[in-house]
Amino acid sequence: MLNITLYDSVIACLSLLSSVAADANAAEPSSSESASPSTFKPPQVFKNANLVHVISLEKNFAKEAINVLIENVSTEPQDEYFLPFTSSQMERVGGFEVKDRKDPDVVGFVAEAVEVDPSSNLQYYRIRLPKPLAPNGQQTLGISFYYLEAFTPLPAAIEQSEKQYLVYSFSAYCPSSYPTIKQKTEVKLPSSDIPDYTIIAASGDEKEFPVKQGSKLTYGPFPEVPAGAVSPAKVRYEFTKPVTHVSQLERDIEVSHWGGNIAFEERYTLYNQGANLSAQFNRVKWAQSQYFNPQTYALKEMKFPLKVGSKDAYFTDAIGNVSTSRFRSNKREAVLELKPRYPVFGGWKYPFTIGWNADSRRFLKKKSDDTYLLNVPLLEGPKQAEGVGYEHVQVRVLLPEGAENVKFYTTAPESSITEHNVHLERTYLDTIGRTVLTIKARNLVDDLRDRELIVSYDYSTVAILRKPFVIFASMMAVFTSMWAISKVDVKFSTK
Amino acid sequence: MAVATTASSGPVDLLINVGKNQSTKTLLRVIILCFIAGAAIASRLFSVIRFESIIHEFDPWFNFRATKYLVANGFYDFWDWFDDRTWHPLGRVTGGTLYPGLMVTSGVIYHLLRALTVPVDIRNICVLLAPACSGLTAFATYLLTNEMTTSSSAGLLAAAFMGIAPGYISRSVAGSYDNEAIAIFLLVFTFYLWIKALKLGSVLWGALCALFYGYMVASWGGYAFITCLVPLHAFVLICMGRFSMRLYVSYTTWYALGTLASMQIPFVGFLPVRTSEHMPALGIFGFLQLVAFLEYVRSAIPSRQFQTFLYVALGGIFGLSLLGLVGLTAGGYIAPWSGRFYSLWDTGYAKIHIPIIASVSEHQPTAWPAFFFDLNMLIWLFPAGVYLCFQKLEDEHVFIIVYALFGSYFAGVMVRLMLTLTPVVCVAAAIAVSQLLDTYLVARSPEVPDTEEEASDGHAKKASKQGGLRASSQPVVGIYNVVGKGFIAGAMVLYLLIFVQHCTWVTSNAYSSPSVVLASRMPDGSQHIIDDYREAYQWLRQNTREDAKIMSWWDYGYQIGGMADRPTLVDNNTWNNTHIATVGKAMASREEVSYPIMRQHEVDYVLVVFGGLLGYSGDDINKFLWMVRIAEGIWPDEVKERDYFTPRGEYRVDSEASETMKNSLMYKMSYYNYGSLFPPGQAQDRVRGARLPEQGPVLNTLEEAYTSENWIIRIYKVKDLDNVGRDHASAASFEKGHKKKKASKKRGPRVLRVD
Repeated sequence: MLNITLYDSVIACLSLLSSVAADANAAEPSSSESASPSTFKPPQVFKNANLVHVISLEKNFAKEAINVLIENVSTEPQDEYFLPFTSSQMERVGGFEVKDRKDPDVVGFVAEAVEVDPSSNLQYYRIRLPKPLAPNGQQTLGISFYYLEAFTPLPAAIEQSEKQYLVYSFSAYCPSSYPTIKQKTEVKLPSSDIPDYTIIAASGDEKEFPVKQGSKLTYGPFPEVPAGAVSPAKVRYEFTKPVTHVSQLERDIEVSHWGGNIAFEERYTLYNQGANLSAQFNRVKWAQSQYFNPQTYALKEMKFPLKVGSKDAYFTDAIGNVSTSRFRSNKREAVLELKPRYPVFGGWKYPFTIGWNADSRRFLKKKSDDTYLLNVPLLEGPKQAEGVGYEHVQVRVLLPEGAENVKFYTTAPESSITEHNVHLERTYLDTIGRTVLTIKARNLVDDLRDRELIVSYDYSTVAILRKPFVIFASMMAVFTSMWAISKVDVKFSTK
Repeated sequence: MAVATTASSGPVDLLINVGKNQSTKTLLRVIILCFIAGAAIASRLFSVIRFESIIHEFDPWFNFRATKYLVANGFYDFWDWFDDRTWHPLGRVTGGTLYPGLMVTSGVIYHLLRALTVPVDIRNICVLLAPACSGLTAFATYLLTNEMTTSSSAGLLAAAFMGIAPGYISRSVAGSYDNEAIAIFLLVFTFYLWIKALKLGSVLWGALCALFYGYMVASWGGYAFITCLVPLHAFVLICMGRFSMRLYVSYTTWYALGTLASMQIPFVGFLPVRTSEHMPALGIFGFLQLVAFLEYVRSAIPSRQFQTFLYVALGGIFGLSLLGLVGLTAGGYIAPWSGRFYSLWDTGYAKIHIPIIASVSEHQPTAWPAFFFDLNMLIWLFPAGVYLCFQKLEDEHVFIIVYALFGSYFAGVMVRLMLTLTPVVCVAAAIAVSQLLDTYLVARSPEVPDTEEEASDGHAKKASKQGGLRASSQPVVGIYNVVGKGFIAGAMVLYLLIFVQHCTWVTSNAYSSPSVVLASRMPDGSQHIIDDYREAYQWLRQNTREDAKIMSWWDYGYQIGGMADRPTLVDNNTWNNTHIATVGKAMASREEVSYPIMRQHEVDYVLVVFGGLLGYSGDDINKFLWMVRIAEGIWPDEVKERDYFTPRGEYRVDSEASETMKNSLMYKMSYYNYGSLFPPGQAQDRVRGARLPEQGPVLNTLEEAYTSENWIIRIYKVKDLDNVGRDHASAASFEKGHKKKKASKKRGPRVLRVD
């Protein structure tokens, strides 16, 4: 349902955030990456007074949170804080968000990847503080981001009913461009079955790190480490759940004013990146194991909680309808439950398409005479306990023919949006074509399911009446020409 | 029409009076025809409503794949299409070995809709093409019937019959995207144009007929039916002494233009002048020239001389051309009749000589209940209609008689050809029904002959006068009696209603299953869909290499190509019997024999269909004997059908099965690991009702790669060669921990070589 107060704030945002606003005429390319000199090194203007690095491996992507108390050690006010990543991490990192841990009202952190030397192994995210930090001033940043494809199964191939173990590599010292006075790293794991983890020499009271508490490993606290210090570590833990990875998600949202309908269609290219089968698939064992319903690393089922009021859901793949789906829609919920045609084991692939309709009144609001606001979820993928990672996401919003002055705003992390543009596309008896807003994002995860996409556009009454008129006129033209042709005498002689 | 009998109240009278007006009549007809087309289309949509918009069965999957190729790559690429993903490693010159009419029609519709910015999925166009064409067929039948009779109701009745006759629906339900889908419309329409051309003696109609004949040739191999029927009609007319300039003009135009048009299709090419099937048309063409020339000579010279001239010229030319034909056939310029053609005359021919033709169920001779099943009451109205044609016997009625005769014969020989019989049955039956209704449905008796006489011709006048006489003497008996009329008309209406009911029932129950998807009922009555085929094909498509070669029996070749998108060894095109026999041999032989064959053909996966768990009778074990027979045709020494039967001549799969059967690859693949699904010794094959041996088969050279949920599809991966050069059997026994048999035992005692 629409939240009116939200809209007001959104309008403010729309006017503020001119960098994300696109209009139909000038679709500027995304400029989140700016060039820096190749010998770039972040100026040593900060130190990390205290740092807690939390790595959550409970889902099939890695979620990292860095809570850091930064202090300006230079003499000038500073507003640029850099966070280093290796180039392979840089490709897989997503959902980069920064908050002030002490004061949640502070907004306006801008995080973006900076392109340094592309051949260098060290890349940076730049965090621009909303207010420059005065010399010796302190601020607590809560930085969170995700890594996709973060794990490797070990062993890489296992039996159909075996447990799956994943390996995650990280650094016991949190990578930072600045000296860190005090820090610790926590690794949260899905279970206490952790057969292997890197043990390093400890400091202080403990004999060795990490300290294991149930399903949690803690490295640290460490004394001061210089900028750029790393201490490679690995953890191998049980994860007998599918490592679901969507390499490409195409999501189409088609708005129809005449039909009062919004049609959603999503095309998934889904992989299971877990361990492969060491022997071929055995149907007998699989069928027998289904009576006990044990944990398995094969993807058997997906649940899509859709917005209440969704209807006409379908589930197809390249060769037609998949009959093993269920759709429950009532006043409280609308859940689409899918079973793939076959259990998707590690290394297997299953592309599919789902779609549904919804009443446009739930998503569309008239702001003023000709201006409309559309509020839809940016992502509505499956809600799985083990999580889903999306490598490439393309959201297309097909607005009615003649819609113009398209602007959008999303609550998803800005650095995830890689590209957006507005163009025309002709379908279903269009004359000039529909206005299509395309947004491309990468490295999203299903934690961002609830993020909104708000699109505002102008759609005049003349444009609304265009299609009926065109159809009426062309029918009339056909009838008139038929009549005219029937009047023409093509006979050689009249008997 | 039925309405008029039930009441003669005000509105009905009004309706009848309204119908008297010519333009109102036309409007009514248009509306009725639209309704008929609507009914024809609607009755074909059972499968779409029950299941989904899906391509059915086997051949349509190839047509669908070809259409997608055409749409994606354009017409010229389609024309030159060499498909290296079928018949591995031979490939298939697909562009030159198919009838492109169907695909091009869909492609044109697709691009037309695209131009109107209506983006319809090509699959939906393919699925709905057959129903749409059935609407057109109904219209074409209406036109054809109207050429036969003056009765205004006959055409509409024929259209309605054609629209819902199961004989035609069987090949044109939604999703049955086969050549017949458009070919029957073209067949009927070409016949209509031929009759029209013949009646008018018009070059224009003849040329139109040739044009549609060309379209027909581009669409279906059954065009030979037209190629033979039209000359036959002409020949019969000449024999009846009905040669006329009309016949000459229309036939010559049709033949010359039609043959040229047909030769444009690469698959047909020079066949019209080189094969025996096309010779009647050429012969009649020559014969017509001759007859026309003789007619001319007769008009020019006195009759005595003409007689001599006739004998000499006719005899000489006939002899010469026959000699020429025999000579050309012997010299190999004209191909003799093909095997499929022989099997039309001798139904046992195919079984002995070409098992691959006999193995197709639709090539079997028709069982007589099939006629009633497919045509219901039309089958007994059909002779009556033909009889009525004899009564009038104009040129066009001769056509119906000839068509009826040949259509009936061919329909009796091959189940599939029921399709070509259906149009003429509908036309003849409609003539009969309309005759009955026209006679009995007129409420007024012609007791006042004066009013009727003005409009009717001389023949009718005589009849009505007699009727008038009889009516005046005995007013309550005979066909003018209201009771008699009511009874006959009521009975007719009842028959028509039963016919509609029967058609709907047959369509719904017999012809609307996609056969890719099977439907069953859950205990609570809800529909449960068994989707094993697509499950396995999708698995193949997503989780095997793009160029993994799949070996299966040829039935599934098109489906694997269309749904799994993987190269196959053999498919439903069956152009290379030896290649099919090779696959048959691989399936029918021991593993040691099959493995080299599979290696040589670079087979990666083997796919078998097994219905034992579910009781699905169309599986590979039931088709197995055909594989054996076809393989035996090429390798009679290595594969023998007799070996697959028990000594008592039974075809068994249980512990009594013959050793050859138990060791065949097909048997092993079907039952491999099947026993582990049951308690020991309880394994049951539900199709053949057999309890399987306790010890299941052992596979050494293949490993089970995927089995679908209900075990209908089983996919095996062909093992690679052993790393250390052992054969697979010994490698497997080593894995199991068995001791290697002592090598010396095999070698035998050492002997000294003595030369």
